[in-house]
Amino acid sequence: MYQVEASKALLKPRLWARRSSRLRVPRNVVALGMVSLLTDISSEMVATVLPLYLVFTLGASPLVFGAIDGTYRGAAALVQVASGFSSDRWRRHKEVAGLGYALSALGKVALVAAGNTIGGIGAIVAVDRVGKGIRTAPRDALISLSSRKESLATSFGVHRAMDSVGAMLGPLVAFGILLVAPARFDAVFVVSTLFALLGLAVLVLTVQGKPQRAPREGPAPSFRASAGLVKDPRFYPLLLAAAGLSIASVSDAMIYVGLQRAIDFEPAVFPLLFVVTALSFMGLAIPFGQLADRVGKVPVLLAGHALLFVVYGVLLMTSVGYGLLVLCLVCLGGYFAATEGVMTALAGALLPEKLQASGIGILITVVSLGRLVSSVAFGALWFAIGLQSAILIFAAALLIAIAIAAPLLLRAQRAPVHG
Amino acid sequence: MDSRSKKILATLVALFVVAGGAYVAVAALGPDETTTDARPEASEVLAHSDLMVRAVDPHNTRLNGRVYEVDDGKVRRRSGDLACERVYYAAGRGICMGVAASGVDYEATIFDSRLKPVDKISLTGLPSRARVSADGRYGAMTVFVTGDSYLESSTAFSTRTSIVDMGDGSQIGQLEQFDVSKDGVPFDAVDFNFWGVTFAKDPNRFYATLGTGGEHYLVEGNVREKSLRVLRDGVECPSLSPDNQRIAYKSRIGNENRWHLRVLDLDTLDDHAVAESHSIDDQVEWLDDDTLAYSDEINVYTVPADGGGEAKLLVKDATSPVRLVAPANQ
Repeated sequence: MYQVEASKALLKPRLWARRSSRLRVPRNVVALGMVSLLTDISSEMVATVLPLYLVFTLGASPLVFGAIDGTYRGAAALVQVASGFSSDRWRRHKEVAGLGYALSALGKVALVAAGNTIGGIGAIVAVDRVGKGIRTAPRDALISLSSRKESLATSFGVHRAMDSVGAMLGPLVAFGILLVAPARFDAVFVVSTLFALLGLAVLVLTVQGKPQRAPREGPAPSFRASAGLVKDPRFYPLLLAAAGLSIASVSDAMIYVGLQRAIDFEPAVFPLLFVVTALSFMGLAIPFGQLADRVGKVPVLLAGHALLFVVYGVLLMTSVGYGLLVLCLVCLGGYFAATEGVMTALAGALLPEKLQASGIGILITVVSLGRLVSSVAFGALWFAIGLQSAILIFAAALLIAIAIAAPLLLRAQRAPVHG
Repeated sequence: MDSRSKKILATLVALFVVAGGAYVAVAALGPDETTTDARPEASEVLAHSDLMVRAVDPHNTRLNGRVYEVDDGKVRRRSGDLACERVYYAAGRGICMGVAASGVDYEATIFDSRLKPVDKISLTGLPSRARVSADGRYGAMTVFVTGDSYLESSTAFSTRTSIVDMGDGSQIGQLEQFDVSKDGVPFDAVDFNFWGVTFAKDPNRFYATLGTGGEHYLVEGNVREKSLRVLRDGVECPSLSPDNQRIAYKSRIGNENRWHLRVLDLDTLDDHAVAESHSIDDQVEWLDDDTLAYSDEINVYTVPADGGGEAKLLVKDATSPVRLVAPANQ
């Protein structure tokens, strides 16, 4: 049924076409968005209550939570490249992504069954993170392969917006449960497990593993071909540009710390900073994706990074009212909306069909390494010369990174496609 | 999606809604153990007891956090109104840091000598340390903030310490925004964390811990000038003696999260261990100029400040010891 309907569905998916004549999103992308939405509700429910649970029910010190929180972050990056390469090699994007979603669901089940020891929780959280690392590259490859090249950025915009809706709903569901059933963390874990299983079910039942652009003929690519992407004349300029831009961008966590230091607002306002940024991201992800498909992904990607200059400007001010603060956070959300999904869409457009997951896996890893370098460098500069000077240096670096990225990316787009 | 998949999915959704709903409903309608505790005399006057503690129930963690008054090692009174993770009290004003009534947020309750709440302050993280200046004017609170570990390293954690006006609960300042100096020059880094404030007799002056770059500095602060000065390293959770001559503190063992208690004389710089051999993670309380009290999160113990004697059990099943001083005019 899919095979017959696929091309028509891509042109005019009924679900979205009725609401807006301009937003045309492949059904497979919406299905993957729904999988991410459900999975994010599940993960964010647990992430929200875990500190409370560890400290108040298990009597752990908050320091222990910090250690648990940190153990799994490194694990995810390592498996991204491996899972991307394997998905392309086996041509089984859906199955590899499914393994990642299944691992996370399994982690939730384990939390219900054995989540009463601190060591157990550490292991469960690590499994969850590995699952996230496994699924990201093949899932993004599926989004890309399900979309026409002219609407790649819109597809990623829709997926990221749905993903962030899940991230916003998760804490609300968890809080709702604890409100009606105080201190019943087991109820939160059970409902979280159900959401994770439902996400997995939606993936298995509704996501098509071999979408329109998926390669069906010819030999399967070798790992050597996947690794060769770092020398591909269409792809390596994107990697270089992505590395430069991510190193020159101050990470959002640093920005929040900076805002907290620079601006004298009540501590109670602090959680709202994340909410305003997330709302801005949620609202702008789709329009910015559509804009990128219309005027070009490169200009939107670079303009998105330029939004950081507004954020830096606010951080440099000595006195900031709530109006400016909101403007700063809206720009921060806009920066996310115009960069992460659009960059993945650009990769999808530049990469050969048979190496989509490999390339996206490499890109994600390069960006996360760049962010790590950025955080360490920003921290060192802050210590050595102060917050204001560190921001000025990063602003200059971002300007240079944008100036270098622009010709690199334009050249990549013009480079000839070859086997 | 074919019709078979559609049916399976619809069945799963229905099944999960029913199962999840039923589980939550049973949890919500189940016996609420938090209200089974008797509600004793909540409004008794505190002034004549000599110690306030936070009660721990080893058999039911949901009953933890009641505030007890203890006299000569015996529990005299307890409050059903306050449920705290950390408690402190001085001169008619107390701070109770705990989980808000919603059960999902943290808040601090300022209470009076009759244990009556007078103000609520919402908190941005897990309660860690609480102190009130001896005159009851200022309060200091430290919370652990999660989801904020900016360097994404395995040991990253983040604290926030604020100073509040105990009269109206308004915030006077956050230590993160104070100007810090070290050896006379400005000192700043992204990983600054402050915790464990202790006030001097002049409540404008205080000591605290500054953690940065793996070091733990003792800092001296000034509330009015919003400034902090680094004094020395290796000091966590300082606690100033009533005569303001010495500081009892936690001394980290290597790089582990284990600490020995020590006492530093601010004049002679004599620095000695006390006779507690176990690792203690608490901000010590001085019962008088010669005696320390602290908890291991299970019981409250006491030990002489001069390094002699031995650690003794003071109150079973309690944390957050607070010395209660009768007002001078009574």
